Amino acid sequence: MMLQLAGALYALTLGVAEPAPAESMVVFADAIYTSTGDVIENGAVTITDGKITAITPGETPGDGDLHVGAITAGMVDLSAHMLGYESVEQSSEITPQLRAEHAIDWFGVAWQRQASSGVTTVLVSPSDRNVIGGLSVAVKTAGQPSLEQRAVKRDACLRGAMGSEPSSGNHPAFGRPTDFYSRRPTTRMGVEWEWRKSFFDAAQGRADGAEPTAQAAGLLEVLDAKRPLFIQTWATQDIRTAVFFKEEMATEGFGEINLILDAAAEAWREPELLVRSKTAIVLPPFPDSGRTRDNAFMALSTAKQLVDLGVPVALSSHGAGQHRDRLGMQGALARRGGMSLEEALQAVTITPAKMIGIDDRVGSIEVGKDADLALWNGEPFQATSRVVGTVVDGELIVDPR
Amino acid sequence: MNMHCFQSIRRAGAILALAALTPFALADGKMVIKAGTVITLDGDPIENGTIVIENGRITAIGADVQAPWDAEVLEYPNLTAFPGFVEALTNRGMDRANENLDVTPFLDVRDSIDPVNFFFENSLRAGITTLNVQHGRNCVIGARGHVVKPIGMTVEQMSVKPRAGIVLSAAPKGGKSSATQAQALRAAFGDLRGYLEELVHDAKNGSDKARREALYQGREPDDETSKGRAMEGTAWKVEGLETIPRWEIDEKQAPLLTLVEGKMPAFFYCRQPMDVRVAIEVAEDNGFLARTTLVLDPACWKAADLIAERGLPVILSSTLMHVERDPVTGDEIETFVPGVFAEKGVRFALRSETPLNQSLWFQAARCIGHGLSREQAIAAVTTTPAELLGMGKRVGSLAAGKDANVVLFSGDPLSVTSNVEYVVIEGNLVYDRAADVRMRHVETGEQPENTAPADAEEFDPHPEDDGAGEEEADEGDPADDEKSDEEKDD
Repeated sequence: MMLQLAGALYALTLGVAEPAPAESMVVFADAIYTSTGDVIENGAVTITDGKITAITPGETPGDGDLHVGAITAGMVDLSAHMLGYESVEQSSEITPQLRAEHAIDWFGVAWQRQASSGVTTVLVSPSDRNVIGGLSVAVKTAGQPSLEQRAVKRDACLRGAMGSEPSSGNHPAFGRPTDFYSRRPTTRMGVEWEWRKSFFDAAQGRADGAEPTAQAAGLLEVLDAKRPLFIQTWATQDIRTAVFFKEEMATEGFGEINLILDAAAEAWREPELLVRSKTAIVLPPFPDSGRTRDNAFMALSTAKQLVDLGVPVALSSHGAGQHRDRLGMQGALARRGGMSLEEALQAVTITPAKMIGIDDRVGSIEVGKDADLALWNGEPFQATSRVVGTVVDGELIVDPR
Repeated sequence: MNMHCFQSIRRAGAILALAALTPFALADGKMVIKAGTVITLDGDPIENGTIVIENGRITAIGADVQAPWDAEVLEYPNLTAFPGFVEALTNRGMDRANENLDVTPFLDVRDSIDPVNFFFENSLRAGITTLNVQHGRNCVIGARGHVVKPIGMTVEQMSVKPRAGIVLSAAPKGGKSSATQAQALRAAFGDLRGYLEELVHDAKNGSDKARREALYQGREPDDETSKGRAMEGTAWKVEGLETIPRWEIDEKQAPLLTLVEGKMPAFFYCRQPMDVRVAIEVAEDNGFLARTTLVLDPACWKAADLIAERGLPVILSSTLMHVERDPVTGDEIETFVPGVFAEKGVRFALRSETPLNQSLWFQAARCIGHGLSREQAIAAVTTTPAELLGMGKRVGSLAAGKDANVVLFSGDPLSVTSNVEYVVIEGNLVYDRAADVRMRHVETGEQPENTAPADAEEFDPHPEDDGAGEEEADEGDPADDEKSDEEKDD
């Protein structure tokens, strides 16, 4: 008694509370898809203090236990477009020093949408209206509304775009330029030239021994493979441009770029380009009749064709504007295009996590990893089932009961 | 110019391919389909079932049914036979779905249906064998609709049931408010009544104006229309209508009269929950409530109690989820619309979202994911729409006496991994997936010879490629290959 009192007094005086009892939770399921190739039938996942602490097969839930049809790892969406509408950054068309993390609205409705559809980690990238937009940040979709609490990896990659989007809305200056849009690139050629010029200047400056500018420093870090370069390219011509650009940088001796292409709808046309350049692919939502943006044609079997050739493939919601574009449904459509359940699962969990180097924390159900789970009412990635619950960092964000 | 010619040639090729796929004469021969599983929706599924078809109709179905000795036998031991899906209502496949005029029941969508529209081809691929094509909702009272099958090069060949209903809209037509829309609906029926009363009045006074007008419009009496008939219906009646030979009634007014007499199904569009009240009032006041099906936008789930109380069936929008923002918290509130109507005991049918890979099978599957029973979900795309079209005895399930519309799936019809392999419509094998080059294009990207993308005029993936559809997808630049080899050596 005295001892307890003394202890309490001690805690009180120092302002240090005794460690709270460990927060623990167990989720039972008919099947647990771990993303490591295993499927555990009738099992349970035990969560303690936000981490997975045990995965036990052969468990039977009691009354009142949390029991669902299936558990997969929380899904990872690399092309989530969480910033919503952003204007064009007008300081330059090449802004590798900007950070998307400074523009996140933690109270926007998009978080609820993502979390309720089983997506637990998203990559937040700058707008694609600029040629090189800035640095992306990987964050959890639920939890305390602050960067410190939610970030999984800051400065996870450098985001840019090729194709029509960075030049859309710009116009040529006849006579005196009237506004910002008469200065920016107005064609694909212009966009490509901006890419080459900025990287060439940065590498040449370093070779000349000049102190790098903030802009150049951001590009040099990509050339030094400190982080991947994540480029939006819908059509084949832009995919080619990106791959040739990467190869050119290597040939020139500027550096080896770790390249990820976003929204690469036409990646199926020339997969050998991607294989030889070791490029990873993030696919946009499957279109209904093949046509996507930039007139790109995306075959239903695109994901399957690429994964068969060993190209890392992740699926994405590309903003989840329509209900059916959400990530779980993309997994289902990938299966319709020929992917196995396991391949579809990996394409929305561990593969995207590996692409940006966060697979030590998320992307699979393994002891020691973050307790991010998607809870399904049936077979995952099937039209007749859906995500009914979500766990983020051990917190039950959406309760299926 | 060259380019344009080339595209025209490619398009012509595509149409020829379509023609080859769709023999449209009614089969008069005998056919037997044997499938590993037959899901009839008229009793339990049959393992190793046999469907006997004669003259386009099913004559026998079961596990141990004797096949006629002279029948063509199709054996699919690994496939699942399923009734063709029924599209409860669509505005696609038409030249234009809406008119500028407010009240147009004298028009008929048969004049707008475009048989070679890709929508019909895509519907066939998805296993939809019956479609109710109706005027769009941007109207007060629209045209008469037409139930068709997705095969045939003319509307006559496609026709399953002409004059299959009239659409009305309680949702304001462009430029109207809810109040003017409601008033325009009431006025249309008021005008009909006034016209009929005047007709009777004129006839009493010996005027033959109506007859002269009818002859001027080019109408002639036949056995049925040469006689007058007392007005039928339950709402209001014009006394003395029996004195007017029916053929003399103006063709602009006659279709509305059939509605008031309860002889024509009505499809009533509602966008907002408030529209439902107007639709019910107009239908009730004019005696066609019993023949009314409401065609609802997602927000109308809020009127579900009223709809359930009046026992009306509904056709739901393809957007199954209603999403709205809480004005105070800003949170998004999602409501799964079919779930609401299922709970209230309202009969509902679903519409397809997109014709190709998210068609009626997908809509039904999503309902199961949201907690509806399999029976409820499947009924909403088969038997319920068939009944709403007054065709419950012909389509929607597989049973003796019904139209032989059979879809053969590679597995469970509602699974993402199943495909439509064959479609039989009225006893004709009209679709074979193995021969469907356009489907192969969508699935694999492979563009077979003599085909063009659906909208070739707007888009050509390879404007520089003027070869005869050669496979160029896998051909890289020769220079690339060299480079690739070099890298391999490294």
